[in-house]
Amino acid sequence: MRKLVVLFALVIVAMLVLTACASPTPQVVPQTVVVQQTVAVPVQQTVVVQQTVVAQQTVVVPQVITATPVPPTKAPTPVPTATIPPPVVTTGDGCATGSTKVSWFIGLGTGSQPDQVTFEKNWVDKYNKSQKDVCLTLNVVFNTGQNSYDALRAMIAGGSSPDIVGPVGKAGRASFQGGWADVAPLAQAAGYDLTKYDPALLDFMKDEGVLVGIPFALFPSTIMYNKKLFDEAKLPYPPHKVGEQYQGKDWTIDTMSQLAMKLTVDAKGNDATNAAFDAKNIKQFGFVQQWPSDYRSMATLFGGALPYDAKDQTKAVMPDNWKAYGKWLYDAIWKYHFYPTADYANSDLLAKGNEFSSGNIAMAYAHSWYTCCFDMAKMNWDIAVVPSYNGKITAKMHGDTFAILKGSKNQAAAFKALSAMVNDADLNAFYGGLPGTVAARPAFFATMNTKVGTNKIDWSVMEAMLAYPDVPNHEAWMPNFAKATDVGTTFLTNMRQNPNLNMDAELQKLLIDLNTVFAAAPK
Amino acid sequence: MPNATTVSTPMLRTKPKISALRRREVIWGYAFLSPWVVGFFLFSLLPIAMTIFLTFTDYKGTTEFAPGNFNLVGLDNYARLLTDQYALPSMGVTLKFALIGIPLGLIIPLLFALLVNSKHLFGANFFRTFFFLPTVIPVVAGTIIFGGVLNTQTGWINLALKALGLDDPPRWFSDPFWAVPALNLLGIWAVGNAMLILLASLQGVPTELYEAATVDGANPLSKFWNITIPMISPVIFYNLTLGLIGSFQYFVPAMLIGGRNGDPQGSLLFFPLHFYRQAFVFSDMGYASVLALVIFVVTLSATGVMFFFAQRMVYYAGGD
Repeated sequence: MRKLVVLFALVIVAMLVLTACASPTPQVVPQTVVVQQTVAVPVQQTVVVQQTVVAQQTVVVPQVITATPVPPTKAPTPVPTATIPPPVVTTGDGCATGSTKVSWFIGLGTGSQPDQVTFEKNWVDKYNKSQKDVCLTLNVVFNTGQNSYDALRAMIAGGSSPDIVGPVGKAGRASFQGGWADVAPLAQAAGYDLTKYDPALLDFMKDEGVLVGIPFALFPSTIMYNKKLFDEAKLPYPPHKVGEQYQGKDWTIDTMSQLAMKLTVDAKGNDATNAAFDAKNIKQFGFVQQWPSDYRSMATLFGGALPYDAKDQTKAVMPDNWKAYGKWLYDAIWKYHFYPTADYANSDLLAKGNEFSSGNIAMAYAHSWYTCCFDMAKMNWDIAVVPSYNGKITAKMHGDTFAILKGSKNQAAAFKALSAMVNDADLNAFYGGLPGTVAARPAFFATMNTKVGTNKIDWSVMEAMLAYPDVPNHEAWMPNFAKATDVGTTFLTNMRQNPNLNMDAELQKLLIDLNTVFAAAPK
Repeated sequence: MPNATTVSTPMLRTKPKISALRRREVIWGYAFLSPWVVGFFLFSLLPIAMTIFLTFTDYKGTTEFAPGNFNLVGLDNYARLLTDQYALPSMGVTLKFALIGIPLGLIIPLLFALLVNSKHLFGANFFRTFFFLPTVIPVVAGTIIFGGVLNTQTGWINLALKALGLDDPPRWFSDPFWAVPALNLLGIWAVGNAMLILLASLQGVPTELYEAATVDGANPLSKFWNITIPMISPVIFYNLTLGLIGSFQYFVPAMLIGGRNGDPQGSLLFFPLHFYRQAFVFSDMGYASVLALVIFVVTLSATGVMFFFAQRMVYYAGGD
């Protein structure tokens, strides 16, 4: 018997040794895919911006596709690779006697940075002292991109799910598909007036047709730019108005790329347009997309699109604009060098992934929530209009809210706290979210102005970009959500790490991989 | 002839009576053992049993673990193991790491221990502390530090290599070829613990053996090979076992450096990371449990083989 066991073990070990010779690169089962669209449009384009937008005193509504039934799990909002602070839990000291305990979980989006936690704790204390019905407690798990999601899963699986989760956007909620309470009946029971919100905004807050939150914070994207680097290069700042030109040229992706090359500088002071430019010793980059979550979130710079055939959701589609984006990005990284490689992005030069905050990035395409994560008072910065592609501006949108988990045992009390949160101007300003109602925005901007030191930020750009959301939204549903996102993220990382890719072949491979994943989606 | 009135009765075996004192001692013994037994049952045995149960279900981690939230699927998850395109490659990555890291994890601490044990070394205490210090740094912090040290652009290693004239140093964590060796480098940085254990065993080798060998004309290399190695072979075997088990469980640095996709290009997709992805990225707890069982079986088998060969290769001075 002993010999048999040893023999069995030897056979397993022998198999493993043979396996050690296998390639580490995962093999994808090739499938025949009918390519629906032709090869990408080149970067060079002549575009005249036809539309003008005038800021009105109306609610500017992002037009997005309402989420249809969603499979579980998705990559969360990306965060830097700093050391991980421990979770923060408060117990509700100072609450009124007999008040209902409601726990608030933070970690699926913004809010878990250590300096944010101090503010949140103070806000919770203030709220608890202001009323006697609800005792709000905090549970903050630092969001590294996954561990906070794991923590919440463990809490749900263990039967001790928190009551309120937020701020959280579509992507975060998709990771817990079907786990959110419908707040419409809760609002009705509490006499909360939902009619003050634009119906389209309320639609934006629906997942699978269920209203899971109240519009709280909108995070449009803009081009954040470092004025000091522009001044050093003696270049004018990028446009602040839609339709405005830059140095006599329309403000397009091409114009922005040329500008970014001039703002990409090596150790000897040569910019990327100079023949003597040394790409191995770059000290400053012209452009970056700050904290991309996956390929979709980046490719929407060239316009929103669906990665699947709307008529047959098992079929992947590679839209022309996303193909064009992939080639543009790859050239930006490896040919024109104005976009940092993964190595540069993770280096000390670019603050280990928090690139714009390093002060060595001239322009960053970022959501407004990114104001959380750099020193707004110390840096000399402002915001500009997103450049257009093929005549169209796309400023991708995030819309965060607070949601109540279905497993919450105190949904009515949770809604009471939630309704206070979504209407609190301080919380709005703190998370850097544009209020869902226009009337609340001046106060929001006034609060933001107190945080930016001597900078004079043109917040009108942020409001203007609300008119150009990505449609469909880059966080909208797609089949086999977690795995499809995973495929996109792998593709993106490969682009930033591998200088020897054939982008046509890689885009084709991405299409095949997505097709495999969509075809395997649970029904 | 037996007496008709007598009946031969079989000799009854009775349990020897234990005294009350002995019984009390036994009860107290079990009582002191019970915390460990209860803990083992609750935190080891029961979770293992639940994991085995989960392998037969399609439980997803997004709902409460309660009846009604999952279905029994028989051997579907095991069948999936045979068609999983990432299972073999990820095991290959783990084995590649082990094949490089385990020998290094034995040779380098042994060399350090020999150095520190040398009577010719000035300031041995300083070196002992110096080599041990990286061990006290938490794994996460150490990995993040090393990520910076091995950064292609600004890392110290590449800056030093460039200063020495190497224009195109390795792209460490961005190159699939160098990614695993780079993690092995990280492992070497933290060999202080193994060094201390080997040092203690070196100091336990009887000096009269060396004296006798010297009298017989043995050179240092011969003494090292024929005396030192056999005498410290139990400790080498101990480190080898720990190294093997640690390699099959290797996860945190791979996750921190390569992300959950095992970048670059899957070269850091260790088997435990593959398990983690299934469990916590895709919430497929059923299949992830199968992968966990695979790790368990593979580690157990490899350890079993090692213990089999240990009988021939390890010298225990005190006997078996």
